[in-house]
Amino acid sequence: MKLAGATDLEIDSALTLNQAGVGCDLRIEGVTGPGCERLRAMGFCEELRVRKLSSGRNLLCSLCGTRVALSRELADQVLVKMAG
Amino acid sequence: MSNAAAVSATIALIGNPNAGKTTLFNALTGENQRVGNFSGVTVEVKSGTFFTPHGRKLRVLDLPGCYSLRANSPDEQVAVDALTGALPDEPRPDLVVCVADASNLERHLQLALQVIETGLPCLLALNMIDAAERAGLRLDPEKLSEELGIPVVPMQASSGKGVLELKQALRFPLPHLAETPWLSHATDADAARRSFVLRLCELAARRPTEDQITWTDRVDGVALHPLWGWACFGAMFLTLFWAIFSLARIPMGWIESGQAAIGKWLETVMAEGDLRSLLIDGVLGGVGGVVMFLPQILLLFLFIGLLESTGYMARAAFLMDGLMARAGLSGKAFLPLFSSYACAIPGVMATRTIDSAKERLVTIFVAPWMSCSARLPVYLLIVPLLLHENEGSWRQALVLFGIYALGTASAFAVARVLRGRLGPDPVHTHFMLELPPYRVPQWRYIGRHLADRAGSFLAQAGTLILGLSILLWALSTYPKHPGDDPSASLAHSAMGRIGNVIEPVVRPLGFDGRTGTAVLTSFAAREVFNSSMAILFRVDEADDEQATRGLLRDQLAAATWPDGRPLFTPLAMISLLVFYVYALQCLPTVAVVARESGSWRWALGQLAFMSAVAWVASFIIYQGGRLLGF
Repeated sequence: MKLAGATDLEIDSALTLNQAGVGCDLRIEGVTGPGCERLRAMGFCEELRVRKLSSGRNLLCSLCGTRVALSRELADQVLVKMAG
Repeated sequence: MSNAAAVSATIALIGNPNAGKTTLFNALTGENQRVGNFSGVTVEVKSGTFFTPHGRKLRVLDLPGCYSLRANSPDEQVAVDALTGALPDEPRPDLVVCVADASNLERHLQLALQVIETGLPCLLALNMIDAAERAGLRLDPEKLSEELGIPVVPMQASSGKGVLELKQALRFPLPHLAETPWLSHATDADAARRSFVLRLCELAARRPTEDQITWTDRVDGVALHPLWGWACFGAMFLTLFWAIFSLARIPMGWIESGQAAIGKWLETVMAEGDLRSLLIDGVLGGVGGVVMFLPQILLLFLFIGLLESTGYMARAAFLMDGLMARAGLSGKAFLPLFSSYACAIPGVMATRTIDSAKERLVTIFVAPWMSCSARLPVYLLIVPLLLHENEGSWRQALVLFGIYALGTASAFAVARVLRGRLGPDPVHTHFMLELPPYRVPQWRYIGRHLADRAGSFLAQAGTLILGLSILLWALSTYPKHPGDDPSASLAHSAMGRIGNVIEPVVRPLGFDGRTGTAVLTSFAAREVFNSSMAILFRVDEADDEQATRGLLRDQLAAATWPDGRPLFTPLAMISLLVFYVYALQCLPTVAVVARESGSWRWALGQLAFMSAVAWVASFIIYQGGRLLGF
């Protein structure tokens, strides 16, 4: 059986963008799932800062100063941590 | 210097959506391509030429925006094909100018690295430098250039700042091929690019530690609010309909006076006869009846131009996503559908930004049901007649709003059914949209765009509508009847005979042969209906055009069936309005749909379906209304 590495555990403890609270400043930990290629192309990449601005059917966030609207399904594929 | 000088090289402008490629293209070439403040304004390759300060003539291609060189939608594929030389009749560019938003380099540089990897000579245009500096970014273009190994030109294309420096940088020999150090020893190219870009931004584009509250944030607090956002949205559209009815009357008055003066002058200088009748009844009555609506059509284009230019259009798409989902579409379909209120052709072309192929087909199919500006003249003729009022009132604006709502609701209902029948996409797509910062409208480009629209509208009035008006006048005048009775003359004319043939088809809808003929002529272009009605109902020129249109309404109100029943009952007028809401009477739209869907079957199927729906809907309204005693 493959043992989980330190990075895997770190990702496991991360929130999804969907779960994070509105107004929080976050740092992207990982992007996983079927929409990850599109998300990465849009700029959702590891280490970048993101602020969640609203939640709902589509949520709004500010990614490096740019406002991006994305569906809840996509937001579930973005793993984040509170920015230090 | 001669404009016929040979082109030295072809350069391509590439960048993320909304990086300002088209603004830069216009600044370089002096052209007037449409500029918007939302992604997907450019959906095909546009080209132009300009001279460098060294006297070389360069050809420049403006490519659709893309986030990466892995194309996800048809417009992105066009950009990728242009870079690889896969576009038909378009050679591979000699140089690529990557246009990047200076305040978003973390995101925009990813594409620039991919372009460098293609092995094409490359240059980075660091656009919107003013906004980046206002946001507190500390930019170091020299350091960027050093690290990337390509020339970097800071600029503000909208104000022309840096355009000369960019032209100077495009000197020969072209920049040498840059190396790709981020790829050496890398196993995952994407990860390697990401970490290189992050390091680069740390070095040459440092952000302030605290996020600043911008005025875009403050405006969005209202514009995207679950309650106030919808209130703003509704208020804006009601204002538009009010403006179309009330504000447009001022410039319409000027056109009316001009036409009346020409009509009077013709009457005084020409002897009575066929030629005078041709000029006054055929040309002035026909063409004038359509040109009259130019201010209202331009107001609609101005409004849409303002929404695009300020950045509100993307917010509207965000707000509408939930509503569009009920029709099986996403918020991305809102932009093409909304553009179709002005004209279905750019609307159909704008569907290229939609990722899902099936959603795109459905959007193309229903786009012509968003009432376009060519239908406005017909609505504006009939609605005041229906309400027994002079032009310009709140009641008329509300009826007009209802007509637009009917077309829109029907489009959504059909989209829902069709989307369900086409089944799910092989790859599930989700809504994701960049909301650009609010910007001051680029009045120069909006003005030029409006001038272009006015030019093409007048050109159509001077060619197609003029030709059809003359043809209709001839058909309704010849062969001549010996007597003086105008109705006997019309019945004897070729048009009277055509009307008799058409009448059995349109009679169940409440129209007589003349109205049926006018509807038939408007299959070339909808606005021809008004000209045809003016000619077929023999309306004389009055002192001013509003009075002329009033006379046409009086004629229509007084028109009767042979048995003496009034022809234009409220029921018949509603039936006529409903017919115009649904019928696809625009041959250029059919051609564009065939091109964009890649299928003539789809386009002709759409034409047949919409014509059938128009007939059936009018039939149900008229016959149902009669059965109910109206």
